[in-house]
Amino acid sequence: MERDGFLELRGVASRYGSTQVLSDIDLSIAKGEFIALLGSSGCGKTTLLRLLAGFISPSSGEVKVRHRDVTHLPPDKRGMALVFQSYALWPHMTVAQNIGYGLKLKGVARAEIASRVSAMQAMLGLEGLEARKPQALSGGQRQRVALGRALAIDPEILLLDEPLSNLDARIRLSVRHELRALQKRLGITAIHVTHDREEAMVMADRIVILNAGRIAQHGSPEEVYNRPASAFVAAFMGAENVLSLNGHPDRHAFMLQAGPANEATTVQLAGRHLLPGAVEARFRPEAAHLFAKEEFLPRRPGVAFRGEVLAVAYPGGHWRHVVRLGDREIMADAPQAFSPGMQVAVHVPAESLFLFNSPAS
Amino acid sequence: MSRRLLGLTLVLPALAVIAFLFILPLIMSAVGAFQVDGAFGWGNFEKTFDLYTKDIVFTVVIVSISTVLIGIASIAIGGYLTLGEHPVAVAILRWLYRWPMFIPFIVVGQILRTFLSKNGMMNNVAINLGLLTPIDAVSFLDWRGIVIAFVWKQTPFVALLVAGAMASINRETIDAARNLGASRLRVLIEIVVPQVGTTLTVGLILSFVTMMSVLSVPLMINAQTPTMLTADIAFRVNSYGDYGVANALGLISLLLASSVAWIYLRASLKERS
Repeated sequence: MERDGFLELRGVASRYGSTQVLSDIDLSIAKGEFIALLGSSGCGKTTLLRLLAGFISPSSGEVKVRHRDVTHLPPDKRGMALVFQSYALWPHMTVAQNIGYGLKLKGVARAEIASRVSAMQAMLGLEGLEARKPQALSGGQRQRVALGRALAIDPEILLLDEPLSNLDARIRLSVRHELRALQKRLGITAIHVTHDREEAMVMADRIVILNAGRIAQHGSPEEVYNRPASAFVAAFMGAENVLSLNGHPDRHAFMLQAGPANEATTVQLAGRHLLPGAVEARFRPEAAHLFAKEEFLPRRPGVAFRGEVLAVAYPGGHWRHVVRLGDREIMADAPQAFSPGMQVAVHVPAESLFLFNSPAS
Repeated sequence: MSRRLLGLTLVLPALAVIAFLFILPLIMSAVGAFQVDGAFGWGNFEKTFDLYTKDIVFTVVIVSISTVLIGIASIAIGGYLTLGEHPVAVAILRWLYRWPMFIPFIVVGQILRTFLSKNGMMNNVAINLGLLTPIDAVSFLDWRGIVIAFVWKQTPFVALLVAGAMASINRETIDAARNLGASRLRVLIEIVVPQVGTTLTVGLILSFVTMMSVLSVPLMINAQTPTMLTADIAFRVNSYGDYGVANALGLISLLLASSVAWIYLRASLKERS
């Protein structure tokens, strides 16, 4: 894939009144790439999408498509089509009129519009619905009409603003794959805004995680999942268990001091940069291994913590335990249940333990 | 006394007011329209059509033209309030457009009489600007004056309803059209107005009915024939004490007003089925 910007953002910033919504957004997107803009609500991801679409102008920076500056072009001159979260179908128009409206605006002949609309309907599985109004469609059908309306004008870039968030959980899973397959087949560049981590992981070539209007990290799903660049990214990607440890780097390893729940040990730095002092250790519940205290034998490099089971529940597939380690409570999964009150060892493999210098140090 | 009777007793005063002050006079005047010298007959209607056919047509034409103009103006105002991109201009318009609503019809007539007459302010300004020579100045105090008065007075009311409805439509439906390349005028006509069609119709029908019943404006502005039905009714009653013909004229304007309401009801039923 050509990495040097098909779609490029350089130092883009946006403010709303006195609030800085976006700052220092630098991003280069290749043709045909599927990018997920991931972040919690209020992080600026929808603002970034609307800025790309041309509904708002950045307060500084520029947006380029094929090295052409489009920063101040109106929405329809950018070769981008937006699928809205609410779908924004026009209630007074039929399915066919909704899909064909963009072509009508472009002055395409009526017969040509009809044939393109029916081709679009066939592609999206909307055959026989052309005369229906949006109110008479299911959520999934509306979503496909919205997609068809955007694709009908043959855009180079498809912008998706949480298009799956209004669908039932079950439909959503299959639509993810359909949408991804369609994007690959058409070879269209897609930018998908979502707050759903799994959705971003499953659909995107590359994930851009936004935090407070800045890019916290971008990279492939495996990269952001397994090598989070910051405590925020680690937490956002599911490493919600957090412990405070102390230690110092020693060549290629980081020496962890003994704490209230752990003995002194070392983990490989593996390219990470850590300063001596307090560190924040984060891991996912599913990365931890639980052992009865007397059975524990460390077989893999990692850190073992002593603790007591406080509660156990079965969310399906595994047992989830709340374990107290020193003064902290964490979650840990295990294939079998440990009853509350049991003394246990929690082993976190080195590659699943994310260490970050605490902001205070 | 049972609770039921008590309830009825409590509603009775209100019912009595409606029955005696509204329904009964309506029936009386409807019956009165068909009474000639104490017997049933079509005499009043024959007389009405002999004397006032021109005025009936005049009324329908004036009110229809006004309704169309009010519709266009209120769409323009609502559209600018919804789609306008200049925040100061939008704020000024939002503040300004409602004022005529608070001015009574009689005062509107008074204002426009001085404004539109041959030596009125409108012509004076045009003459001073060199757009018009004093000889070409004409009075607008005829049917045009009535239309101007109606449109000026009723547009804010319809615009208020329409702008409210426009503000509550999903903004993303507007953005979606702009995203596909629709100009602002096309967005207004093809996306926004169809979504507020019902509100617009209701506003226009209420305006139509209001304009049918205004007496002061035709009396103040258009003191000539043909004139509007309200002026004729007042004339019949005040000058001749001829309640029969006045009742017949009233019944005709009631029919005109309700035919508009009927068109609306039929359209809304069709939409629902």
